[in-house]
Amino acid sequence: MRKHWLIGGLASLLTLAGLAFIQEGPQEPPGSEDMVEVEYPSGQPIAFPHDQHAGSQPGQNNMDCQYCHYSAERSVDAGIPSVSSCWGCHQAIPGSNNPEEVAKIQQHIQSGDPIPWVRIYKVADHVHFPHMRHLNAGLECQQCHGEVQELQVLDSRDPAWGGDNMGWCVECHRQPDDTGKAQASTDCTVCHY
Amino acid sequence: MAENKSMKDGIKRRDFLRVLGVSGAGATLTGCSTEKVERLLPYVVAPDDITPGVSTWYTTVCGGCSAQCGMWVRTREGRAIKVEGNPNHPVSEGGLCAKGHATLQHLYHPDRFLGPMMRDGSEFRQVTWEEAESLLAARLGSAQNPMLISGRMGPSLNKLVDEFVEGIGGVRVSYDAISDAPLAEAARIVYGTAGIPQYDLENARFLLSFGNDFIETGSSPVAHNKGLARMSSVDAAGSKGRFVYLGPRLSLTGLNADKWIPIRPGTEAAVALAMAAVIAGDDPEAAGPYSNVLQAYNPRVAAQVAGVTEDAIFELAEDFVSEAPTLALGPGVGAHHRGATAANIAVMILNHVAGNVGRTVLYDAPVNGAVSAYADIEATVSAMASGESEVVMVHGANPVYSIPPQAGFAEAFAQVPFKVSFASALDETSEMADLILPDRHFLEAWGDSSPLAGVIAVQQPVMQPVPHFESKQTGDVLLSVANKLSGEGDAATFYDYLQEHHRSAYDEADGDFEDAWQELLRTGMADTRGEEARVLELQSPEIALSFEVPTFDAPGDLTLLVHPSPRFGAGEFSNSPWLQELPDPVSKIVWHSWLEMNPHTAELRGIRDGDIVTVTSPHGSLEVPVWLYPGIREDVVALAMGGGHTGMGRYADDKGVNALGLLPSTSEQPSGALVTTVTSVTVIPTGENRRLATVEGSSDQHDRLIAPAVALADLGHAGDDEHEEGGHEELRELQGVGGFIPVPADEGAPTAFPLEGSRHGLYADAQEGPRWAMAIDLDKCTGCSACVTACQAENNVPWVGEEQVLMGRDMNWVRIERFYEQVDATQAGDLDVRFLPMICQHCGNAPCETVCPVFATYHTPEGLNAQVYNRCVGTRYCANNCPYKVRVFNWYRYTDEVPEPLNWQWNPDVTVRDNGVMEKCSFCVQRIREVQNRAALEGGREVRDHEVVPACEQSCPAEAIVFGNIRDPNARITQVSSSERTYRVLEDLNTQPAVNYLKKVTFHEVASVGHEE
Repeated sequence: MRKHWLIGGLASLLTLAGLAFIQEGPQEPPGSEDMVEVEYPSGQPIAFPHDQHAGSQPGQNNMDCQYCHYSAERSVDAGIPSVSSCWGCHQAIPGSNNPEEVAKIQQHIQSGDPIPWVRIYKVADHVHFPHMRHLNAGLECQQCHGEVQELQVLDSRDPAWGGDNMGWCVECHRQPDDTGKAQASTDCTVCHY
Repeated sequence: MAENKSMKDGIKRRDFLRVLGVSGAGATLTGCSTEKVERLLPYVVAPDDITPGVSTWYTTVCGGCSAQCGMWVRTREGRAIKVEGNPNHPVSEGGLCAKGHATLQHLYHPDRFLGPMMRDGSEFRQVTWEEAESLLAARLGSAQNPMLISGRMGPSLNKLVDEFVEGIGGVRVSYDAISDAPLAEAARIVYGTAGIPQYDLENARFLLSFGNDFIETGSSPVAHNKGLARMSSVDAAGSKGRFVYLGPRLSLTGLNADKWIPIRPGTEAAVALAMAAVIAGDDPEAAGPYSNVLQAYNPRVAAQVAGVTEDAIFELAEDFVSEAPTLALGPGVGAHHRGATAANIAVMILNHVAGNVGRTVLYDAPVNGAVSAYADIEATVSAMASGESEVVMVHGANPVYSIPPQAGFAEAFAQVPFKVSFASALDETSEMADLILPDRHFLEAWGDSSPLAGVIAVQQPVMQPVPHFESKQTGDVLLSVANKLSGEGDAATFYDYLQEHHRSAYDEADGDFEDAWQELLRTGMADTRGEEARVLELQSPEIALSFEVPTFDAPGDLTLLVHPSPRFGAGEFSNSPWLQELPDPVSKIVWHSWLEMNPHTAELRGIRDGDIVTVTSPHGSLEVPVWLYPGIREDVVALAMGGGHTGMGRYADDKGVNALGLLPSTSEQPSGALVTTVTSVTVIPTGENRRLATVEGSSDQHDRLIAPAVALADLGHAGDDEHEEGGHEELRELQGVGGFIPVPADEGAPTAFPLEGSRHGLYADAQEGPRWAMAIDLDKCTGCSACVTACQAENNVPWVGEEQVLMGRDMNWVRIERFYEQVDATQAGDLDVRFLPMICQHCGNAPCETVCPVFATYHTPEGLNAQVYNRCVGTRYCANNCPYKVRVFNWYRYTDEVPEPLNWQWNPDVTVRDNGVMEKCSFCVQRIREVQNRAALEGGREVRDHEVVPACEQSCPAEAIVFGNIRDPNARITQVSSSERTYRVLEDLNTQPAVNYLKKVTFHEVASVGHEE
């Protein structure tokens, strides 16, 4: 019986000691108050099909990625198209597949509210990923983002996208180039600062 | 035992874990699920000049103080995130002070008014602009004797305000809390010019300051800081200018002097006239109409009056002629006593007889500084109290706070039937208003500036107005109200008015105005000054002048010096948490007030550091802790302005005491300026003591050669240990297996990096890349601390508050150390105070890197000591091991305390740190990457020298910091670091820092200090 008291006493002492270090409950990462809960990945406000716009199949429009994602070769951000960019074509193209989705663009143009897209591809906040350096090095968008032009709905759980995993980036950086050195730097501070 | 286990209701441990594993896996297999995601919000119409992720820069003018420095503002996605100096500006030349950097916080300050407010009993009620303007128009339409009290503003708005006030039949009162009126009045009396003279410090060889704190206040702190650094730092030929400070207290400016002559307060005129008398000698024409004045003064008389020796004054006079070109500056705001104008006249006479006018003192392009007369505002107090004025409007001023309570401004203001404030954020004056029409911050507004006659600069908005606040430019409001009153047509905008003002002054022969306007917006200024230097004649004074030592109110045994704060000015900047947490450049104290007292005086009275005392003058009394300071006379105490706010906001209120409570409401004759050095006080300990919230470790180097100096005479005799502090002995390193081996001589040199034995992997090719290094010239650094705030702004460095600072948890990445080597308050003598900006040294042999258990800190192939925030687990062993103590730890998530929209200021290129993460200077690695990215896009070219400019180097008005690739033999950093004055701090520890310091050069011999055995 005595042993129980000892163990119980020791346990409660340690618990109390541990409680002393608890400040508030588990902390949410900063900025998470801006996140929303949606049906993923189809929770997009407008059912935008990448394959119809960027695909190269017959009947598809074969648009260049950078027509919409316009800052990829100049900036750290690839950029997403402004509503007026969509409207540029769709003021004349009602869309035969989903005209009610296309009509939503007009609503946004008239109300002046941006289309609240759900973010699919994201790297952690402590990573500074520069799009323009990668384009400058000759990478294709598909090498990281997968064959987006074949997908109707984008999902970051697509195995082609490894952006939530640093090892995936490092593996490509480590690949030797023609001279036998690593083709890109694996120094931590090229991305983490 | 088994019974006890099954007593637990429900799931057993094993079952629990099994279920968790299955359901977790199940969740990932389903196609659709709900998840927490971020939104991506596109532009509706993308602006042409914004590329997301790329900075857009705008040129404008700082509206922080009357200096009107040029500014370049970095914006990202339409948000201003950093302000810097404009290198093309002829006055500030790219420098920016700490207050200038902090103006960005005022833009996003949560204490700004949400919109126009109308008084509703004791509260304010938000109204629309239409309602507010209509109400003002209605009241003005029928008001008797309306009055507008205004601070400093640009020429166009100034003209509009004049027209508006005339149109409503009112009176305009100019009011500057910090005013150079005595200097302006002196110039008017002596030379008949308007405006204050321009000083050419850079080309002077001998500078004399009679209590003029030109680095902290005055017509251009940044320009004068730069001028002092250029003049007093040793040049390539091995010579340097000399700076002597005369005054009862060493301000930050005074601490930079080579010699301190601690004269009694109010005795500047006597000394200046005595010197002028010696210089003029027998020449009756030298001082023109003032020759008879000079007859009454000589060094013996002045010595008695000033409390220094006759020889000191003689020597000063002789040097003032022989070390030409020379320059003397008369007392500034920190020394405004009852004879301030006379003292400035005396110094002008001194400059005249020494032949400085037209050389280092220039009257050709008068400086448009703050020169309003306090006497004017005293008159308005009576007008308000008598009910004469039915409407009083206040713009750009906070008189309820910044006027001594003795004046009765608050009581008189309360009598006014309708009070209007244009303040953009709450302050003590707008708190009393009946109607508030919040002005825009200068970063969101149009305007112009003319710091000197002949120099025009345009202030343009760098972003859309911050959407949280319904603010409107005062110029637009006045035009709209005038329009309502006149009922004619549509109101013009202030932008139209501004352009029209410049168009009418523009000579179309020089080209199309629209093109010129665009060019003006791009470069920021137009300089149309002529080249001629006028030689002026001394004019006969039209009033009787007295150069007697002024009186100080009694009783009291210590004279009180009330002076502007280098951080808060007269209190207009107190609501900036960056500035509250910026260690005061003199005392290193943060977040509260202190009374400066000489240590000997304190000892005699049994007062220790931190003792709370009651300071009583004939006009008021307050309690404040004492800070012992050797740089102040034994019969003087000093108190800085800017504390004791009661209605300015969350960071300003209840911090410290308002020094103006001890002053009478007295204006100096004939200038009408507020007298701040005017009373003596009694100081009585209360018996309580508090720990001062200071970041200072010690002001004594303890023979550690942290900031050694070299005498001017010994330059060129490098390596001669007898003369020089800090020689180079052979270092030996202890081996892990025992025994010492000598450290190779080239270790620490760029060629030796990366260290032998580590040249593989990431470091294999590091010999070809850049190696980043920095050089800080201590002969130039003036201790102004602009770099501290610049770094805080650039790198999202949090502020922690007084409590945390008291625990030693201050977060600034740069620390300006201040060491007293020679400070004597009892007699004229050499002064030796050393400033040392201490940052992460990016040691080649870093003690912090080896002890991190998770490799969060390591040495990059480019030579930086990297800190990877996401990897840090918060062991804090690295900070423990750092001998420079430059690593700071996020004990809490300090960013939780940052209210909207202050977080809009954050730099998106720098990670905002969570709690539990260590941080330190990164050599602005984000700027290095930005430049390297740009170079890669521009055909893969090399990064050029001086292309990477860290925030500290960019801001430094004294140009003391140089950064670059030290592996490049042609880079400036390499040339500067190969100086004979170069040394590294705590070199003997074999840390091999990448930060090279250049020793301060003194005129006096430096005591040789032995090495630690």
